[in-house]
Amino acid sequence: MKRKNNKFNKRPQNPLNKLSLFQKSDSRFSKKCPLSGKDAPDVDYKNIKLLKRYISDTDKIMPSRITSVSQSKQRKLTSEIKKAKILGLI
Amino acid sequence: MNFYEHTLIAKQDLSTPELDSIEKKYKDIITKTDGKVIKIEKWGLLVFAKKIRAYNKGFYIHYKFEAKNNTLEEIKNSSIIDSSLLRHLTVKYKKLDIETEYFKESNEKKK
Repeated sequence: MKRKNNKFNKRPQNPLNKLSLFQKSDSRFSKKCPLSGKDAPDVDYKNIKLLKRYISDTDKIMPSRITSVSQSKQRKLTSEIKKAKILGLI
Repeated sequence: MNFYEHTLIAKQDLSTPELDSIEKKYKDIITKTDGKVIKIEKWGLLVFAKKIRAYNKGFYIHYKFEAKNNTLEEIKNSSIIDSSLLRHLTVKYKKLDIETEYFKESNEKKK
């Protein structure tokens, strides 16, 4: 299902059209989830190459606002990363 | 009956006949309690990300099987007592993915 997000699809305005300098622009940065979709990779505790992309240098799980992973996939990611940590793979 | 995956980590300083006996022991436990072993993968000697009980490396053995609840208890109880194992993990699956092997390529490159 496609969402109607008219808010994000607006074209960037000319900066001279603004009323004041501090007015926020309508265009916002948005990205699709890299783990959902048709040919998305498997999120699994054995797939270490994929899981290593979503942890920081100090082995913390990255927040979804940085990686733009969807809510349901982020829940799955955390559980799979914790399984891999038990086995000493990450 | 449900599908499960089970991974064992054995200690680094074991010989190959000892490793084979460990593999056979847990295979027998599954088959004795009306389970069915679908696949066994040997991941070989891998380096841990962190030290586990003063060990840096360990042998990984990976089972894919179909069983009931009582086999899981038996595996868990016997692997806690077993002194040659470091850690173990069982995961329940609705569908088993038999084809993809994530650890096969990395072993061949080292050789």
